[in-house]
Amino acid sequence: MEGIAERIDSFLVPLVVTPGDAIRFTLVEWLGFFVLFTGFAFAGWAWFYFRFILRNLLRNWLRTSLTAMATMVLVLVVTLVWTILLFLSNATSEKAKDLKAIITEKWQIPSQMPFSYEADLSEGAPSKNGDFRVDTTKDSMTWQFYGGTVDPAKRTRENIVFFFCMDPNKLMTVNDPTIDSLMASIPIPATYPYRKEETGEMVEIKSLNLTDAQKKDLEKVKNAVQKGQITSMMDGLDEMAPEELVAMRKAILLTLGDKRKVVVGRERLLALNKRIGETFKLTSLNYKDIDLEFEVAGVFPDGRYNQSAVMHRDYLNDAMDDYNRRNPGKRHPLSDKSLNLVWIRVPDTASFQKVEGQIAISPKFQSPAVKCETASSGVASFLDAYRDLLWGLRWILVPFILLTMSLIISVAISISVRERRKEMAILKVLGFAPGQILIVVLGEAVIVGILSGFLGSFSTYYLINEVIGGVKFPIAFFPAFMIPFEALWWGPTIGAITALSGSIFPSYNACRIKVSEVFARIS
Amino acid sequence: MEPIVEVTHLGKNFRRGLEEIHVLSNLSLQVPQGEFLALMGPSGSGKTTLLNLIAGLDSPTQGSIRVGKELISAMGESRLAKWRTRHVGFVFQFYHLLPVLTAYENVELPLLLLPLTYSERKKQVLTALDLVGLSDRLSHRPGQLSGGQQQRVGIARAIVTDPTLIVADEPTGDLDSKSAEEILELLVILKGALNKTILMVTHDPRAANRAERCLHLEKGQLVNETYQNFNVHTQAVSH
Repeated sequence: MEGIAERIDSFLVPLVVTPGDAIRFTLVEWLGFFVLFTGFAFAGWAWFYFRFILRNLLRNWLRTSLTAMATMVLVLVVTLVWTILLFLSNATSEKAKDLKAIITEKWQIPSQMPFSYEADLSEGAPSKNGDFRVDTTKDSMTWQFYGGTVDPAKRTRENIVFFFCMDPNKLMTVNDPTIDSLMASIPIPATYPYRKEETGEMVEIKSLNLTDAQKKDLEKVKNAVQKGQITSMMDGLDEMAPEELVAMRKAILLTLGDKRKVVVGRERLLALNKRIGETFKLTSLNYKDIDLEFEVAGVFPDGRYNQSAVMHRDYLNDAMDDYNRRNPGKRHPLSDKSLNLVWIRVPDTASFQKVEGQIAISPKFQSPAVKCETASSGVASFLDAYRDLLWGLRWILVPFILLTMSLIISVAISISVRERRKEMAILKVLGFAPGQILIVVLGEAVIVGILSGFLGSFSTYYLINEVIGGVKFPIAFFPAFMIPFEALWWGPTIGAITALSGSIFPSYNACRIKVSEVFARIS
Repeated sequence: MEPIVEVTHLGKNFRRGLEEIHVLSNLSLQVPQGEFLALMGPSGSGKTTLLNLIAGLDSPTQGSIRVGKELISAMGESRLAKWRTRHVGFVFQFYHLLPVLTAYENVELPLLLLPLTYSERKKQVLTALDLVGLSDRLSHRPGQLSGGQQQRVGIARAIVTDPTLIVADEPTGDLDSKSAEEILELLVILKGALNKTILMVTHDPRAANRAERCLHLEKGQLVNETYQNFNVHTQAVSH
């Protein structure tokens, strides 16, 4: 079975690359189901049932559309809540392979460790032969945070920039030199999707005008990610288009060549009113008296890093050294507190446990003491503060919404059944068994549930992902939550289930109608 | 002749609150194959209840009903539903067509419960609608037809399964005299041409006059029966 699933995956996954592909793919899928269903239905009585049910629904289109709209709105809310819960659940689920571990100061939040810890922690603190040693070229990275404002006199949300200071190579590590030179040869500027004119003006690139050979090279870049020739400690590399990968690599090379150069997210750049190639000076908010000047070398692709900014860690560390040199006997207060986090990646749980032990017993990390935990447990600890809120979302809000959906459908179907008691009686007279009448009534509810559920989840997917750009739910340090592709199934499924449960009572009433009583009343 | 319907010591009670109402009591009746029988009587005499019981829409409190070789008074609801599909065609006072379906689809409705192919169903529906003279109104919905035409569709729906019995509950009660006459004529033709057994409840003596035999009910009992023209034969039938 696993082999078959893999083969199906290998066929389907390449078809769905962008959200647009996903939407098109889903439409084709549903069209397929529709054709299949009608194909079967034409052959028999099911087609009659289907049309009969549809006509009953369209008879009072206002009630049907109001029921459908209520279902769609509730599906939207459930989809949003489930998206957040699913994301958090995935973030706190332990992986069995390629675990990310976070090393922080043990007893204090925020974590502030001396930068001298960096070399040993990045390697996993091996001390003897046989200890696990992390590959520092691609499997570890350090995090320092530098925040500042371009206008110290009037600090606003817009004029503040918060930099992640790191080795720029860890944004994207090219493990194969041939791929690196291939990327360098493709004529895509670091400023992509913009081009810098001679005048210094930035112009949007409408078309790349690549040769066939260069297009093939781009394909190789894309494949290099899948083959592991291009890796990153950051999430989201696999979401980047090959053009964006090439541009990002060129921007990284620029930051490596000149430490003042930085990569900034689109929205942050817009808020600063700066463009690629322009410079700006920050007055630091956390590193007092260390004010730095930057030049924008590149921009993150549209998405999760829209508000982020990355600078070379050496720029900050050199500035600190310079400060200490200029002020003999008065070291900067954060001199021994500039390393905030170390991330390492290990292949499996056993390796993680080994590294965790190595760090715990190492005498080098006693003041301050450090701890090593998996990223998921780190996130889980952080989310502990939101435990009640998440519990409420999961166990109160969602069930309440599902119950409301059931009740709305139940009321609508009950009214409809009451209005059509005579018709139910006629069907019985003609020989329809109670079970067949049950199917008609349940069918009406389920069709409304499935269709409105699908429309609800589809419009939620489109609205949130394509128009709004994700659910901006300010919890922990997560970016905007994007509606997952599988959410397109949630709507029809919850629509069908709630419709089914909401219509059980009215459909039972419908099939228990006593013909003689109904006709006696009419007479 | 072997009777097609045999009702023996039939009784039906209804409960209204604490009160027990005896609608039919100790009623016996035989209807031969191919007879056109009218049931008359004042309101509340039990005619419609008797019709419903014979048609398998309700269960008797006592006694038995046999239609053909089947003892329908002993059948459960689902089995009765299946039996009705094959053996009973209904014609109602208020036509009772489904408003969302066309004339064709209304007539096709009972055939959907039988193991027939699409072409077999189509053939039967067209034949039935042709018999009632509505071949040109196939795609009309009930709201687009006159009362007389709707009742013709109702009759087509009743005969489309080629049932053993046709039961009609005041089929002319909601029609003007001209349309009523046409419907009665149609029932007489059906009885003559297809040799159908027809049981009709009516208040209208002119309608009853088209039947071969007329049974009179009062307070749940058969009080007399009259043959065609009302004066051929009169006798007390109950007790």
